[in-house]
Amino acid sequence: MPQEYYVLIVGYVFGFYMAWNIGANDVANSMASAVGAKAITIRQAIFIAGILNIIGAACIGSHVTNTIRKGIVSTEVLTDPHLALIGALSALLAAALWVSFATWKSLPVSTTHSIVGAMIGFGIMAGGFSVINWTKLAAVILSWVISPVFSIVIAFLMFKLIVLTILSKKDSFAGALKLSPFFIGIAFFIVVLSFLFKTPLGKKLSIGTPVALVVAMILALIFGFAGKRLLKKLIKNKKSNGTEEIFRRIQIGTSCYVALAQGANDVANAIGPLAVIYFLVKTGNVGATVPVPLFLLLFGGIGIACGIGMAGHRVMETIGTKITTLTNTRGFSVDFAAATTVLVASKMGLPVSTTHAAVGGVLGVGLARGLEAVNFGIIYKIMLYWVLTVPAAAVTSMVIFKILQFLL
Amino acid sequence: MRVPFFKMFMTSPFEGLQEHAEKVMECAWAFQQAMECYFAAKCKTFEEFRQEVTRIESQADAIKRRIRGHMPKRTMMPISNFLVFRYLKEQDEVLDRMEDSLDWISYRAESGIPQELEKDFALLVDAVIDPIEQLSGLVVEARLYFKKFSEKQRVVVKNIIHTLRQQEHEADKFEDIIKKKIFNMEADAVTIFHLVRLAETIGSIADHAQNAGDMMRAMLSK
Repeated sequence: MPQEYYVLIVGYVFGFYMAWNIGANDVANSMASAVGAKAITIRQAIFIAGILNIIGAACIGSHVTNTIRKGIVSTEVLTDPHLALIGALSALLAAALWVSFATWKSLPVSTTHSIVGAMIGFGIMAGGFSVINWTKLAAVILSWVISPVFSIVIAFLMFKLIVLTILSKKDSFAGALKLSPFFIGIAFFIVVLSFLFKTPLGKKLSIGTPVALVVAMILALIFGFAGKRLLKKLIKNKKSNGTEEIFRRIQIGTSCYVALAQGANDVANAIGPLAVIYFLVKTGNVGATVPVPLFLLLFGGIGIACGIGMAGHRVMETIGTKITTLTNTRGFSVDFAAATTVLVASKMGLPVSTTHAAVGGVLGVGLARGLEAVNFGIIYKIMLYWVLTVPAAAVTSMVIFKILQFLL
Repeated sequence: MRVPFFKMFMTSPFEGLQEHAEKVMECAWAFQQAMECYFAAKCKTFEEFRQEVTRIESQADAIKRRIRGHMPKRTMMPISNFLVFRYLKEQDEVLDRMEDSLDWISYRAESGIPQELEKDFALLVDAVIDPIEQLSGLVVEARLYFKKFSEKQRVVVKNIIHTLRQQEHEADKFEDIIKKKIFNMEADAVTIFHLVRLAETIGSIADHAQNAGDMMRAMLSK
């Protein structure tokens, strides 16, 4: 069927476009605070984020993906292969267009929620309103409130803790060094847990929650104290900004982790629908889950890296000049809050977005009086775009679905 | 890109305050030269220095308006917006008073200062320049405190404010001496009025520098 091969080629193009958009739009999530706090340069951030996204996507990205992201639409809609093909194509294009529009108009939207919205649009067109899983949709809506609020609280407490235990002390450098095992430890604790719970590779290891907690705790202890020894060696001369220097190192670690996890998780947003198209064309039918070949994951990872490389520079430059007041202690608090929020919320089954968590983290540090100036008023505007994402992507998806149905 | 996200981060008002404090400093030097010129008889450049002070004052005004105009209602800072505005107002008042002093002189420039008061006025001018010099350091150190929150840095800022207060007190003493001398002088009422008012205006420069310091002290309170 030559026509279906054309569809597959178009699918590849759309999939790459979506991956590119994820890279372009989400690079700020992982690297914003690190670049803003001058922990790494713009070039380093782009390079690190690009490489880690490819590795994350290809090595720990899921080799089996849900055909419908987050199970928001019943799989009934996939029974007709022709309809499913059109649906996957339109969802992919709709989500990509919306994220593209958002990137162009500088709106902070969630790529995950875009694809969820696009899937809803396709579901409604293919099977009516009955196919939508309303509880899952409610969870999405709940996440708009929960993830930023949770992140605000964590960032606030974290920064206050740093101020109380380190910054306000007479010899803050010695205090920071003394407490560094604790801060490195909890960062590692969260990173290990996220790795075990959140990344597809960790899920494959299928370690139970208590075991995972113990493993994370032990690793956190080991790395905490090893980290302290390393810090002692690295930072010999005790400068006035020694405290920030310590947090700079910890922050680079957390940022890299976020980039890795981002690649692992977000690649499915682009590759999930592409995998559906791929299997429909190859085998003629598709179930609730499809195996994703490694080359597709790699393809998605490279797409994300291309997006980071091409558009990331502009994003980073803006961050570098705008977020000048974000020192390493603040940056660490933001990163920590975002990572913890994503971990806890996804453990609770809420489809949270790193974008939302990062925004919450910044506001949390601001509320703790840690930033010279943050504009709280803008939060309403940001919230509006979060809410708009799902319906906007859904409507776009419906329109594209109709057009494609007419064409194919 | 992601502008609403970036819009959360705004240029710190402290940057503006620092810039403004530097303008005050610059203005103080021009003011000092204008005053020295006025004391020296047959100085031709007084008017030039006065124009210079007016020019710097209007530049500082632009900075002040920029700070005020770029502070959204829901700005979160380590201190309240109110204190920033009050601090800025006092720091700006320092400039206004320098300009006022020179303007006041210009209304009656030809009369000059009686010989017996020349030295006292010179001392008063020097005494009001000292606190102004503290102001730019004050903003820099305070900004550092809001970054580090360390007790040590807090003490540094508090010490500067303390110095400011003492210097204002010094200036007050010179102002008192001058006023006393003026009233014991053999001179017509108009001259006396002009001189007294001049001493008071110059003296108020230090007052406003001290007020700025007090506002900063309020920002430091925990």
